[in-house]
Amino acid sequence: MIGAELAKQARRLRGWVTLAAMAAIPAVLTLVVGTTRPALAERVGDWGSVVTDSSGLTLPLISLSAMLLFMLPLAVAVFAGECVAGETAWGSLRYLLARPVARGRVLAAKAAVAAGYSLAAVLIVVLVATLTGALAFGVHPLTVLDLQHTTPFIVASTKLSPLSAIARLGLASAFVSAGLSSTFAFGLLLSTLTARPFSAVAGAVGLGLVSRALDNVPGLHALSPWLPVTDEASNLWTGFFLNPMQTAGVGHALLVQALYTSAFALAAVWWFTRADVLG
Amino acid sequence: MIAAELAKQWRRPRTLGTLGALAGFSFALTIALALSGADQLQRVGDIPLLIVPERAGSSIPVIALASTMKFFLPLAVAIFAGESIAGDAAVGSLRYALARPLSRSRYLLAKLLVALLLSLVAVLLVPLAGLAAGTLAFGSHPLSAIDGSASTALHSAILTFSATDTIARMGVGTAYVAAGMLSIFSFAFLLSTLTAYPFAAVAGGVGLTLVSRVLNSDYLPGVAVLNKWMPNNDVDLWEHFFQRPAQTGGMAHFLLLQLIYAGVCLGAAWWWFARRDILV
Repeated sequence: MIGAELAKQARRLRGWVTLAAMAAIPAVLTLVVGTTRPALAERVGDWGSVVTDSSGLTLPLISLSAMLLFMLPLAVAVFAGECVAGETAWGSLRYLLARPVARGRVLAAKAAVAAGYSLAAVLIVVLVATLTGALAFGVHPLTVLDLQHTTPFIVASTKLSPLSAIARLGLASAFVSAGLSSTFAFGLLLSTLTARPFSAVAGAVGLGLVSRALDNVPGLHALSPWLPVTDEASNLWTGFFLNPMQTAGVGHALLVQALYTSAFALAAVWWFTRADVLG
Repeated sequence: MIAAELAKQWRRPRTLGTLGALAGFSFALTIALALSGADQLQRVGDIPLLIVPERAGSSIPVIALASTMKFFLPLAVAIFAGESIAGDAAVGSLRYALARPLSRSRYLLAKLLVALLLSLVAVLLVPLAGLAAGTLAFGSHPLSAIDGSASTALHSAILTFSATDTIARMGVGTAYVAAGMLSIFSFAFLLSTLTAYPFAAVAGGVGLTLVSRVLNSDYLPGVAVLNKWMPNNDVDLWEHFFQRPAQTGGMAHFLLLQLIYAGVCLGAAWWWFARRDILV
């Protein structure tokens, strides 16, 4: 079932175009930053800063930080929002469901393949950024400036060996992927509700927008830790690049993601197993 | 024609719902602030302006406008503009509307003016409801604000504005924000003539604010050169009115930019709509 779905999605252009865009943006970013301002410090997350040409390993940090706001959520929303609504739009959903497979299994297979693509999107960003960065600036130890603890008298920075930096990069990718899971699950829910893939994709991107807008309203700070997408929670991965590693708030952020993801996913299953499929 | 269109839009639950949500936002903000942290300094906007809400009711419109101008107001404006033509197309009434003995340009103009009026009401409603709620909750007192950009760790630049002065500055600020919505409005209106799905037109209008925000040097390195040509980035400049002397740098450029976006998008909308094959 999963194999069949994977084969089907692999033949479709949309997935390849999205993944190609995810690969192209870090490459372009390397080119632009490398030609225009290699020796300047770029901000990473809320408090981190790296000097681009000091090491190729700075590029994955810059790319993740730049794409976390919009590009990555968009890619995830495309995969999740397409997966069921795409079939409905084509009119092939009812024939798919006419096969002797339970609806729950159909949804699970579709969600698993879409999740695989979403994970691939994050990994491609990190891999391409690392490769182009290494080509452009070489593999040197990674120095991360901690702007939060830097004063006029002390520069707080952390130096990481390439190996340690790559290991931490893996951890950061895992956290970033986990942070996108509420967007993914919401896209999946919308995908079962609508027959138009565009609506599901836009709605999933909208979740992050509304959440971020609410996060920035003064007076609603009490709400912030419980919103699905906030700048503060999505930037926690930059703490992994400090010594000692800062992991405060990571557990809570993952818990919030798990809550939203399971709520949206359960609603999707509940609805999809009962929906009157006409298209 | 315009009166008929206005009466039709006014009766739609979508219109009242959007306006009600915006007014409700200002009231909810006041209540949230009154319950938590009205006696503390609140940071307003990207240009650091620090205000203690409890001290003056007129602080609420400043906070309300600053927290809606980047997403909720563009959303409301995109709804009014994006729904206008595409809404008729979606329910199938567009070709009957055009079958009446009126030129398409006049129909488009009536739609445009009504959507513009509703958008203007939306922008005005946020500070007005904020002023009403704020005055009820905290009374009408002079507003004191700390100008973060002129302050250092040892010296904080505290400015005081009388109640009428605050309202006058807010009036100009609201007019600036309203003018700043023109690019989003025009783009959503153009999309509304292109598609039969209102949702797509609304999402496209909101999408333009997103593109504007993503192509901002705060987030993406190397795009600083594009910054001042983006349609929604400088909408927060009105916060400089609450500095002394009031700063107006960059405002003329931003307003001119709005006119350019509006001219191009509305021109294209008119060109396309006058020639389009209406099937639904």
